[in-house]
Amino acid sequence: MKRVLIAGIGNVLLGDDGVGPYVARVLSSSFEFETGVQVEDLGTPALDLIDHLTGLDALILVDSVDDGNPAGTIALYRKEDILRHGPPVRMDTHSPALTESLLAADFVGSAPKEVMLIGISGSRYDAGCQLSVPVQDAVAHVIDEVLLELDRLNLWYEPIEGKGSEIWWDSAPELAASR
Amino acid sequence: MAKRITIDPITRIEGHLRVDVEVDNGHVSDAWASCTMWRGIEKILEGRDPREAWLFTQRFCGVCTTVHAMASVRSVEDALKLEIPANAQYIRNLVLINHGLHDHIVHFYHLSALDWVDVLQIPKADPAKTSSLAESLSPWTRNSRNEMKAAQDKVKAVAASGQLGIFANGYWGHPAMHLAPEVNLLAFSHYLQALEYQRKANQVVGILGGKTPHIQNLTVGGVANAINLDSQAVLGMERLEQIKVLMDEVAAFVHQVYLPDACAISAMYADWFGIGSGVTNYLAVPELPIDAKATQFDLPGGYIPGGDVHAVRAFHTHADEAFRQSVIEDVTHSYYAGRTRLHPWKGETVPEYTDWQADKKYTWVKAPRFENKPTQVGPLAQVLIGYAQGHPLTRKWTDAALDKISAVAGKKIGVAQLHSTMGRHAARAIRACMLAELSQRHWQLLVDNIAKGDLSIHNPPSFPSGEIQGVGTHEAPRGTLSHWTVINGGKIKNYQAVVPSTWNASPRDINGAHGPYEASLLHSPIANPELPLEVLRTIHSFDPCMACACHTFDPSGRQIAKVKVL
Repeated sequence: MKRVLIAGIGNVLLGDDGVGPYVARVLSSSFEFETGVQVEDLGTPALDLIDHLTGLDALILVDSVDDGNPAGTIALYRKEDILRHGPPVRMDTHSPALTESLLAADFVGSAPKEVMLIGISGSRYDAGCQLSVPVQDAVAHVIDEVLLELDRLNLWYEPIEGKGSEIWWDSAPELAASR
Repeated sequence: MAKRITIDPITRIEGHLRVDVEVDNGHVSDAWASCTMWRGIEKILEGRDPREAWLFTQRFCGVCTTVHAMASVRSVEDALKLEIPANAQYIRNLVLINHGLHDHIVHFYHLSALDWVDVLQIPKADPAKTSSLAESLSPWTRNSRNEMKAAQDKVKAVAASGQLGIFANGYWGHPAMHLAPEVNLLAFSHYLQALEYQRKANQVVGILGGKTPHIQNLTVGGVANAINLDSQAVLGMERLEQIKVLMDEVAAFVHQVYLPDACAISAMYADWFGIGSGVTNYLAVPELPIDAKATQFDLPGGYIPGGDVHAVRAFHTHADEAFRQSVIEDVTHSYYAGRTRLHPWKGETVPEYTDWQADKKYTWVKAPRFENKPTQVGPLAQVLIGYAQGHPLTRKWTDAALDKISAVAGKKIGVAQLHSTMGRHAARAIRACMLAELSQRHWQLLVDNIAKGDLSIHNPPSFPSGEIQGVGTHEAPRGTLSHWTVINGGKIKNYQAVVPSTWNASPRDINGAHGPYEASLLHSPIANPELPLEVLRTIHSFDPCMACACHTFDPSGRQIAKVKVL
């Protein structure tokens, strides 16, 4: 059995940064996967990510990227692209640490061989639980990319129906009575 | 002549924390700490159901998820004056203890040890000598020559490849690094082992919390862990035994590896017990309640003014009246509009961004003040406050640590030297030892209470029609966390989180008083302004977490394909 993790990362409270968790939840409510394939919304992990990477055969990450492209643009990266520049020195001990986690897992020999990062360019990252229209429109294409990667890895999946949306953060609050 | 250096995301350092220091004659003459990231996500909670606020607050930050969930449910319970069952206290405590242990282990070994340990010296070490050194410090069974040799071989392989990988970002060879090769190897072999033990602590959080990150087992009024000792599906004896085994392993690592390492390394840099003191007003809230009503706690809280441990004042509840009344947030130097000083229940979050201006506004962090004074929070605060009150568990581990440190340093290092950069590291190790011991105690409290026939886990909340307000506190790995909520007609009207890194990273206030990071850097030596390792050492000793924000990956590498969306 291959151990594969499809992980959405990002902050669901900060607009387009939430696209990773959003995609993870759409995937887990709309598809059934081969045994050994897990789908997780990992939020904004720092070095904790190492624990999630350990012992995997393949990792598919979905995250927003800050690459200056128009919102909704999708770009794909492999492990060597992510690691190309090594880890930066950090003042803040808990900054997002995808690069560090991959390097640390690599060092102890437990990193997955196959890594794919599907990056989605965003336009707004301020407080708010909704995706911008271009990013929302890109979600279906991101899911296609995830499925293509699963095809490439020879893994089985099938669409399912009947599970409701798991996007619990997406509802607008009612206006507070006193405001 | 004075020279100002900026250490920020744009220059050498990544993250959302920026530090500016003025260096004069090899020493820091002034300092500014700022956060470059907007932190106003509490606004999202306005109008929402207080029972689901914790699901949102645990998304504030990817590292501190559990702590923001806990403070949130406690704030709503405080507003409702809702007690929770004893079982719920113990289950929550076990989650908090194990989250804390995971966090402290990761901080010491993976996030700050490489400020002191020079990886490039490791190939020069003698594994046999390293092993004897390790065995003289601790009865730990994984200190053999072979264990040390294996760790050394990993480093040699990486060094030979010319690709330092995870270690490419250190200030290797810096003149302020001076451990013997064997000590570097010892620390590094434990860096590798620590990866396993932090995971075990996190597994306990996952078993009780349902998953990590983002635990699922909380509810306003208690927990959602149904208890049935004979069941494998819910919390029964099988799962309790499983977490007991994990906790025993973590406790052994903390007592036999983390504490000896922290003591030995800190003793070998004993001059850092005289650097980095800064703000010596200390605040901690009591934590780990041992009864349903939360009248007694296993970790004491209180306040120490001006470093005077004899003047300590004890807190007796999660949020004593003195605490409720004495916290304000000052925005004189923060990018916010509105009144300069407000109590969190009246708090406003209206952004007013300007450029970074040394004498005006320069950060997104507000300046929390206790009795109008800058205040340091974190393990050091908690250890000093417990020690000052004569708390037996704090005294036991603090005295043990100071004895070990003094023995290696060859001179007396006492409680007075803990007001320092190295004191913060020592205090974190001391607190970890206390937590490891308490993990056993709270497991037993839970098992004994269940054995009495009490299976209660939840008291349902009901919301009055009018306005109520509450504060939920948690003594988190980085210090005192408080969530302040105002609820009207069952909906959240105002919500403010005053987080530990806000206390410590706070800017100057209306009186011009520096925040703790800033004050701790004053007078610090700086050997080479181009490689300000000393600044990193002191700032890292606080365990900053400004990650309570965006995650967006910055792709400095090459993409393999760009997919055009039509």
